[in-house]
Amino acid sequence: MIKFAGVLLVLFAGTMIGFLQGARFAARPRQIRELLHALQRLETEIGYGQTRLPEALARIGGILPHPLSELFLNISRSLSRDSAESGETVREIWERAVRDHWPSTAMRKAEKEALLRLGSTLGGSGREDQLKHIRLASIQLQAEEASARDDQQRYEKLSRSLGVLGATLVVILMI
Amino acid sequence: MPQPLMELFPTSLRLVLEQLPAVARESLEEIRIRENRPLEISYGSRYSFVREDGTLTEQDQGAFVPSKEQCRALLERVTNHSIYAVEEELRRGYITVSGGHRIGLAGRTVLDKGAVSHLRDIAGFNVRIARAKVGFGAQVLPGLLDLKERTIRHTLIVSPPQQGKTTLIRDLARCVSSGEWHHPAARDWGSRKVGIVDERSEIAASDRGVPTFDLGPRSDVLDACPKAEGIMMMVRSLSPEVVVVDEIGRPEDADAIYEAIHAGVRVLATAHASDMSDVFARPVLSKLAADGVFGCYVFLSRSGKKVEHRIVTAEEAMRESSRRSNRSFGASPRDDPSEKQLGRWTDHPVPGTSPVAQTHVNVKARTMPTIRSPAMIAPRGVDDD
Repeated sequence: MIKFAGVLLVLFAGTMIGFLQGARFAARPRQIRELLHALQRLETEIGYGQTRLPEALARIGGILPHPLSELFLNISRSLSRDSAESGETVREIWERAVRDHWPSTAMRKAEKEALLRLGSTLGGSGREDQLKHIRLASIQLQAEEASARDDQQRYEKLSRSLGVLGATLVVILMI
Repeated sequence: MPQPLMELFPTSLRLVLEQLPAVARESLEEIRIRENRPLEISYGSRYSFVREDGTLTEQDQGAFVPSKEQCRALLERVTNHSIYAVEEELRRGYITVSGGHRIGLAGRTVLDKGAVSHLRDIAGFNVRIARAKVGFGAQVLPGLLDLKERTIRHTLIVSPPQQGKTTLIRDLARCVSSGEWHHPAARDWGSRKVGIVDERSEIAASDRGVPTFDLGPRSDVLDACPKAEGIMMMVRSLSPEVVVVDEIGRPEDADAIYEAIHAGVRVLATAHASDMSDVFARPVLSKLAADGVFGCYVFLSRSGKKVEHRIVTAEEAMRESSRRSNRSFGASPRDDPSEKQLGRWTDHPVPGTSPVAQTHVNVKARTMPTIRSPAMIAPRGVDDD
């Protein structure tokens, strides 16, 4: 009886691990897409509204879904308040926030690099220049999105079945 | 020094500025921050360098030297991390921050088709601290009233930079819009609608459209609006009775002022000049003055902490300028303090004297030139009488 319960637990755990891995593969292109929407929005705020950066980021943070919204809201908060104390520049605040929030997203290193590069120029130059940098970051992210979709198709189902099968293997070996 | 202003500075700079001696902090006028050069402040018409511990020194050696990082952080703070949003201001060379403080910038200009498109490599900041000085207008306003029309005359406030033009015009706007005429004959006049075209955001220091300085209950502010266009917009849509503009000097400003005065609106303006001859030396101002647009002129001069003012009516100004051109050299400067003490400017409000008597003298003085030199009076010059 106890053996049977153990088998069930192992099977359950293995399946869950597989599903979680699969979910990460599915979440990555989705989050990149959301990030692209955010950049598009930022482009509009800077290009047409000439909204100040803290306000623009706060607005973007307000419309994005969970993991990314915190990132933008955090940067916006630091810009409008904390930097008054410490005299931090946009670049430092941006880097700190991206590093802190990255583990909670499903995105990888390439996207992080693109975002950090954008952060180092944001707010520091004229409008045309800003728009160019945002577009550059968008193009990089689009490329990453395509490869993320490829990965999703290839590995999402694979990792799910791998979880179930791996668990079954362990069960067989145990018995 | 106002606290919101201190928040602009990065921590290391703020620590230095917070340690300034109280006397300097209270009368602080400018903070000059230059990259890798000594930190300078000017207060009460004097200047000093600042050491790292906040003490003042006349020598530039040993003074605190702001670093490149501090200047970068300061620039980010004053632009609210958004240089792209202040491109227009950069083109003009200054940024106005909340509270009406103007920050002049020095750096490398970037040209586009021969015109300055913006500034880059900004390495010099001049933080000019704006102060609301309630009560200044009360001294000046009684001399500017048009008793017949029950409002103020078209007035030009003239002074060199840093003498308090903007402070005065702000307080005058407040007095007019709240109906504080400070004159016994004007007790029942009520207030007037005031339209303020605030191209440099210095008069009202608007924060998202709402003035942060007290401008009385009946003021409308067009923030960051070019003066010429702003005056026309005001006259067309906001029905002001008095239009207030800062620092006129371009030909289109003059055109707009002509439009306004013929629309039955009183104009209160300021201009950079040190005396009447300067006014006549500046093409746009001289045309306005020669046409007799302004009913009176207020000259500001400063001795130490005190700002002196002198009100000159259009006729006296005319006479003065024609006499000046006749005599040219050898004439004693009109700014000569001895002249002032002699009471030649009869309508200068002397504290203690009754304003009624002043106005009486004023009227007498203004009728004289029509007999003496009629040719010099332009037809419109006396339309305020």
